[in-house]
Amino acid sequence: MGGERCGSCVHFRNDPAYLETLFAGLAALSSADASVRADDGHCRRHDRYLSARASCADFSPAVAAGLTQPDRSPGTR
Amino acid sequence: MSRAETEFGAPASSASAGWRELWRKEDWWAIWLGLGLVLAGYFLFVNGSSLRWIAVTPAKWATGAQLLAHFQDNIARYLAQFLLWLVTFAIALTALGHRARDFVPAFVFLYLVSVVIFVIGQWDQASTYNLEPPLVALVLGLVLSNLVGLPRWLDAGFRVEFYVKTGIVLLGATLPFTLIVWAGPVAIFQASIVSIVTFLVIYWVAVRLGLDRRLAATLGAGGAVCGVSAAIAIAGAVGARREDAPVAITLVIIWAIVMIFVLPFASAALLLPAGIGGAWIGTSEFADAAGFAAAQAYGALAGKNGIAGTADQAVFAFTLMKVVGRDVWIGIWAFVLAIVATTRWERTATGGRPDIAQIWWRFPKFVIGFIAASLIVTAATSGYSLADFNKTVNPALVAPLKDLRSWAFIFCFFSIGLTTRFRELANAGAKPFLAFSTGVAVNVVLGFVLSAYVFAAHWANLAR
Repeated sequence: MGGERCGSCVHFRNDPAYLETLFAGLAALSSADASVRADDGHCRRHDRYLSARASCADFSPAVAAGLTQPDRSPGTR
Repeated sequence: MSRAETEFGAPASSASAGWRELWRKEDWWAIWLGLGLVLAGYFLFVNGSSLRWIAVTPAKWATGAQLLAHFQDNIARYLAQFLLWLVTFAIALTALGHRARDFVPAFVFLYLVSVVIFVIGQWDQASTYNLEPPLVALVLGLVLSNLVGLPRWLDAGFRVEFYVKTGIVLLGATLPFTLIVWAGPVAIFQASIVSIVTFLVIYWVAVRLGLDRRLAATLGAGGAVCGVSAAIAIAGAVGARREDAPVAITLVIIWAIVMIFVLPFASAALLLPAGIGGAWIGTSEFADAAGFAAAQAYGALAGKNGIAGTADQAVFAFTLMKVVGRDVWIGIWAFVLAIVATTRWERTATGGRPDIAQIWWRFPKFVIGFIAASLIVTAATSGYSLADFNKTVNPALVAPLKDLRSWAFIFCFFSIGLTTRFRELANAGAKPFLAFSTGVAVNVVLGFVLSAYVFAAHWANLAR
């Protein structure tokens, strides 16, 4: 499972710390650690918040790009 | 490994499925911690002991001398309790990726101020000045975070959701399972009416104002289901734009904090019985943490100034309405809206087939702990007569768990204030504000009518 889905794409980030920074106020009355979030994350290419099971034509595998973890370039936090 | 170094781009299959969730989601940690305390309490109880010693709380006091004497007599108990919370929370939050070295000093601060808040609430003149602990905690936290300012890294100890979920699991131990079975269907029915109507109102107004449908759905869920948690869940399910969720978060936070004060004071002004006030708060508050603050504040007024009922009735009615009636359905909302988004709305560059399994993935798992705690204590105490329950079981088993729950909720209420920084919230914009506020107005009126008229007898007599 995973394949060409967003969850294994270089553009996708779903770590809780990143999401709580991205969405101001999220931790005030909820949490990125909550079950209701499932595995959703942020697609930095399309600037959308979506399921890790979504997919698109711009998929680029994180591993093939030489990243063991997604892009953490400046400006993303 | 720090929180910022984990879960990056984890493949979908590993992020939500399988056993990994058992230690990577706070809902499960709330269950482990809450049920651990319940089982420990039961084990001690059947062996002739109790959690009473460590579940210490400030006693009622009238003079400084009484207060001083209480702390002189019980300092070891407070120290032990502090260490219990510190160690268990630290283990959980470290597993979730937080840094223990950030959490520890933050929790020391949180616990010390929580003791002060608890002490204020136990002053024999507290109710005269409306110094209910939930409201004091919230206001003090808001002042500190917005007027004084605290270092950002301290947020590692201000985990609102983790504390409230732990408190809810502990609350289950004090709520008879038979009551959940008896009152649950009415709660679900009432909550469903209000949730569906509120969602449709917000969604319809938002679309009429020209807002994107995905933003409209995110706003609608935030107002109708479970606040920020629902907004973020629906934003992900429908593939919303990045800026949509923060708009909904801003509006939920603002209205939730307003309602923490408005709903209890309006209920008191209308002399609503505690159960009815709790049901109204459960129907019309927007987030669990905020709702518990309001329900507990109103419960503290029960039995005084013409407000009939007990504090438990307010909290139980709120819990049934909010947790059982609204929260557990978020997965179904997400699944249905994902179908609508992919089949009826404008297409986006990204997409995927809606998966019915998300009803489980998004299920607020802490509810399982809440139900399990209720079942355990109900089954364990079913053989006792009412007299024996009141004489033996309640003081040795139930009351200590209730006191530990009170601590968890105070940590939560104070953390709400400490993490709500108004200047950092996204600018919601006039149209989203108008759409959401219209839903708030409908929700509050409909919630009141259903709680105070249609189902009034049910809620007024809850847990009598």
